[in-house]
Amino acid sequence: MSRARAVWDSSWLQPVVVVLAALLAGIFVSDFQKVTLALWVIYGLVALSLDFVWGRAGIFSFGQTAFFGVAAYAYGVIGINLSPTTGETISALIGAVVVASAMAAALGYFMFYGKVGDVYVAIITLAVTLVLLQVMTSTAGPQYHIGKAQLGGYNGMTNIPSMEFGYPGHPGDQMSQPDTYNFVVLLAGLAFLVVRVLLRSGFGRVITAIRENELRTELLGYDVRRAKVIVFAVGGAVAGLAGGAYAGWGNFMNPAPFSLPAAALIVIYVLVGGKGTLVGAFIGAVAVEWLSTVLGGILPSSTTLVVGAILIVVVLLVPGGLTPLIGGLLNRVIPLRSQARRQAAIGSAVGGVGRGRGLQAQGLVKMFGGLRAVDSISLEFPAGQLHCLIGPNGAGKSTFFNLLVGRYRPTEGKILLEGRPITRLLPHQRAQRGIGIKLQVPSIYRELSVQENVWLAAFAKMSSTRLAEAAVDRVLARIGLVERADNPAGDLSHGEQQWLEIGMVVASSPQVILLDEPTAGMTHEETIRTVELVRGLAETATVVVVEHDMEFVQRLDAPVTVLHEGRILAQGRLSEIRLDERVLDVYLGRTFRATGS
Amino acid sequence: MDQALTIVVSVLASIATLLLISVGLAVIFGLMRVINLAHGEFLMLGAYAVLVGTRLGVNLWIAIPLAGLAVGIFGIVVERLLIRPLYGRILDTLLATWGLSLVLVQAVSIVFGPATNGIGTPLGSVRVGGYSFSQYSLVLIVMAAVTLAAVFLLFTRTRYGVMARAAIQNPAMARALGIDTARMNMLTFGIGSALAGLAGALLAPIAGVVPSFGQAYIAQAFMTVIVGGPDVITGTSAAAGLLGGSYSLVSYFATPFIGQAALLLIAIVLLRVMPQGLSGNWRTYL
Repeated sequence: MSRARAVWDSSWLQPVVVVLAALLAGIFVSDFQKVTLALWVIYGLVALSLDFVWGRAGIFSFGQTAFFGVAAYAYGVIGINLSPTTGETISALIGAVVVASAMAAALGYFMFYGKVGDVYVAIITLAVTLVLLQVMTSTAGPQYHIGKAQLGGYNGMTNIPSMEFGYPGHPGDQMSQPDTYNFVVLLAGLAFLVVRVLLRSGFGRVITAIRENELRTELLGYDVRRAKVIVFAVGGAVAGLAGGAYAGWGNFMNPAPFSLPAAALIVIYVLVGGKGTLVGAFIGAVAVEWLSTVLGGILPSSTTLVVGAILIVVVLLVPGGLTPLIGGLLNRVIPLRSQARRQAAIGSAVGGVGRGRGLQAQGLVKMFGGLRAVDSISLEFPAGQLHCLIGPNGAGKSTFFNLLVGRYRPTEGKILLEGRPITRLLPHQRAQRGIGIKLQVPSIYRELSVQENVWLAAFAKMSSTRLAEAAVDRVLARIGLVERADNPAGDLSHGEQQWLEIGMVVASSPQVILLDEPTAGMTHEETIRTVELVRGLAETATVVVVEHDMEFVQRLDAPVTVLHEGRILAQGRLSEIRLDERVLDVYLGRTFRATGS
Repeated sequence: MDQALTIVVSVLASIATLLLISVGLAVIFGLMRVINLAHGEFLMLGAYAVLVGTRLGVNLWIAIPLAGLAVGIFGIVVERLLIRPLYGRILDTLLATWGLSLVLVQAVSIVFGPATNGIGTPLGSVRVGGYSFSQYSLVLIVMAAVTLAAVFLLFTRTRYGVMARAAIQNPAMARALGIDTARMNMLTFGIGSALAGLAGALLAPIAGVVPSFGQAYIAQAFMTVIVGGPDVITGTSAAAGLLGGSYSLVSYFATPFIGQAALLLIAIVLLRVMPQGLSGNWRTYL
């Protein structure tokens, strides 16, 4: 049973089945219906691009129809200008894909490297699409042409050549519209396969990781911005393929795909088909188009009204879409149980050598407006040692920690890792240089299993699937979560989640480990176990712990630095510090007596 | 000199238009963080309200504020039925208001027909030497300034303004202080809608009144508010100044086609350079 499921889940089977089914269906329908079906498949392809970008990578984009539209124009421009000489339109199709992908990558670069939020990505892509609508609509005059291709304003570009596969001197036959159906089905199947293979790769898991928890992924050392730009470029390429196919199918292109209803349709296909299912993109496109054809016969003038209504109803009532619904029914008839994959334990331990690297802060200052949250702190954390930072609320511990992590950039001062400046590096770049970071609030992938969490952390460092899997077993044993390997991380207790996150930090074999309140929210027993865990970390790395819990700090038995009002108040062993009058003043809230000194 | 004056007026009129269409969105999206994709259709409803009003024989200058009021009331209804169940579900709000936008466009074109309805531009034009501009441009500029000032004062200097912002920034705390946050949100959404209706009404005489009226403006409105950044009113004004100014100058010296493209390009590059928006580093009052 589970074997059947595994085959079904493999990359190639679904695309092959869908393509065969579609080709078979093509035998039984009229040529006229084939023309319509080809269009639906093309819509499904655009929906696939959105489902990849949104359903799998979590980036909501209104821009897929924009990439589609630009690609269709690109196919037209290249085809009209070149095909009379070259006798083929393959170059036009490839050109369409490249143009759309490049446009998506460029837009993605500005958005993701600018670190704009999710909602803004939606709005910006929408704005780009709508501005393109206005721009393309205003190209009616004869002066707007590229080579022999007239852009044509709202009336659109005409005489776009059909697909043909000739070579210079020997023009191929222009493909008829019914044949285009088979061609489009094959293209869609190919794109479907490529997307599935990509999602299966290590990169695919990273994409999932970003969707689930962007901050954690960044702290593991993945360049989230780059990954998102790649996702966007791939999505743009798939939409571009659809656009090229569309122009070749209809021999015509106008600005209508840039309009709001067109952009809405793509989202509806994905929602109706089931977000994140990929195959649902095609199911949704065909279902919605079929429905609106039927409804169009009954209520000719109200298709948009119906589309809008479907959107509202699906959002409010069927948030999962059709595909999971059908899948649920199928599972009842043929129970295919998905068995959690157990990775074979591969012996060889990885990493864990060396004694860590030293970390140094030199004259760090961080201002927030007029407030000096960190006021020239110079502090050295020698290689391979454990060090604790304590201080009352508002002492600047968190700010200082965030400066070390790279989430804030200091107003003044330097941070050195083994003598080299890392002051201006982003968090993921610091992680790549061997700094492991655990934030105060457990930041894990709640939807992923415990072992997948650790795998992602290990893979960030090793980029080898097998080595990463070996590291997973080693780490799980260390943090004592072997039994819970297949549970979703969100099911763990609060303390276990903290350990898991420490495990994720360990999995990337860091040289320096920064822990922000690792025992926050733990029971007494859990705290005591954490002491052992953290002391163990110091055997292979430099460890800096920011902590509130005095008992924990005492049990760690490490050098302590006390911060107060953004400055270093005292340093030494906890036993010595406890006798320090100034520290007592600060912690007990007594008036600061050391005036004038 | 005469040419310079007409250019100045046309630049200011562009900025005023952008400000008028964005200010309602600045309240609803910028302040309340509600994504209202039907904002363009709120503008459109304002334009149709003026159309209906003038057809019934109401004086244009009275019909315009009435149109704002009508759309404000419509906005309150929308808030109750569609927005309120979806607070905190940003993407669902976006999709639902998008559905609303499609429904409104289609409903209006069923009722009024898909054709363009004109309302004659009131007032004449001013001749300056060999050039002329419409007096209505001056009305738009003045109205934009007045609206902006009114919104700024409303949200910074009145009891309602303070309570409304409290209800948005920390609803739990605001409720603990005895503020009826649901009512505040409803009112604020209504005010944003009324501003959109007013803008649509003001633009109706110079733009044709069609069901797709809103689509021409929604992209610019969102761009302006996003580029403006967290300081909602001043940021939006600055963004409108920058984007509207460069759009109309580029359009004047090249073509509106290139002007549109320039606006988009500037907005996107600005986001890369200043992801927090123009007002990202300003001391925030509103």
